[in-house]
Amino acid sequence: MTDQDKLSGKSFYEATARERARGLVDEGTFTELCGPADRMSSPHLPVLGEAIEFDDGVVTGVGLVGKHPVFVISQEGRFIGGAVGEVHGAKMVGTFGLARQMYERILEEHPDELAERLPAVVISFETGGVRLHEANAGLLAHAEVMDQIQETKGKFPVIAMIGSKVGCFGGMGFVAAATDVVVMSELGRLGLTGPEVIEQEMGKAEFDSADRALVYRTTGGKHKYIMRDCNYLVEDSIASFKEALADVLSKPYDEIVKNRRIGSEELVDEQLDLVELSCEIQPKDARDVWAYFGNEDPAGIPEQTTEEFLRAAKRR
Amino acid sequence: MALTELSFTFKADDPKPLPVEWSHTGVVGSGDMEVMFERKDLDGAVEFKVITPVTGFDQVWEKVLDRFVRDSGLADVSVEINDNNATPVVVGMRMRQAVEEARKEA
Repeated sequence: MTDQDKLSGKSFYEATARERARGLVDEGTFTELCGPADRMSSPHLPVLGEAIEFDDGVVTGVGLVGKHPVFVISQEGRFIGGAVGEVHGAKMVGTFGLARQMYERILEEHPDELAERLPAVVISFETGGVRLHEANAGLLAHAEVMDQIQETKGKFPVIAMIGSKVGCFGGMGFVAAATDVVVMSELGRLGLTGPEVIEQEMGKAEFDSADRALVYRTTGGKHKYIMRDCNYLVEDSIASFKEALADVLSKPYDEIVKNRRIGSEELVDEQLDLVELSCEIQPKDARDVWAYFGNEDPAGIPEQTTEEFLRAAKRR
Repeated sequence: MALTELSFTFKADDPKPLPVEWSHTGVVGSGDMEVMFERKDLDGAVEFKVITPVTGFDQVWEKVLDRFVRDSGLADVSVEINDNNATPVVVGMRMRQAVEEARKEA
């Protein structure tokens, strides 16, 4: 069994950021850039007496999927909840810059092979958004990453992978929404305001963050798949996420961008229709919405395996 | 308030040099730590730099790391540790894991 075989079979949910980064590209092709040996840790945390990490909680690098150069950004939730500080954000932005340079180079050197050599940026999200210890820098980093995503439009795809323990919340929830394709496992969670923050602001009666079933019904992969906030729902293994990535990259760019959930007038109208619909049907729980879209046994959905769910689910 | 930086140097009786130039293991989660090994000519010694939010446990660090060097036989390595409140047991375990992974890489 090679190292990559071990990685492939590994749970995406349990994998570290570095394991995910290596496992999402072809075996032996991953090169970490700005890795731990470069010691780019936060200059702000030591002043506050907070522990630091050599990579500031994010693994960045490049690898190949077939002939596609894939630039990987992989966040580590175990380090301050994957929160984005100044260095962490700068590493994300820098990775986008490299992807753009690569795109320009391929355009110049291999114009006939652009489709099969098209680069991509993959973000394996595991974060609650801004790191409050360095909040201004963290917020700015979010804005810069958003800017970088806009810069890729019309050039190459940005793909979100969400299936890690912390999920993808806060400002990074916006960033994930702005990507071209969202891949999740049913253990992945995506949202803006995290469950604990909702409870803190609105009270336990409104949203009990200790009720894991409720949290997953509201923010989990299956719900996001039904609502079409998530394009691909996959099993919880690094191999399944990689397979989805390879599938996305096998398609022409124009086809890939059809997965976007926002970013055009028609899509904004669709989102507004959803707001109208929620006023109309007044759902008390995600199950009401699932039933509305034609799922006959909404209560049974959380119990289904990913395979059973994918076979039967009725989406928006 | 600021982070504590500790430095130690130890020497093993039965030195086994690191087979790789450098190696990195671990994640700075709560109660956990990361460690970086870098080969360096130190006349058989191992030098440590520990960065930790914890104060008042300098002697515990010294004992745990000294024992680790004697048990593992590590030599001619500069070791940097970023700690986030790992207990002595976790520190010992992570150090052994780091050596094992570095030797496996070679």
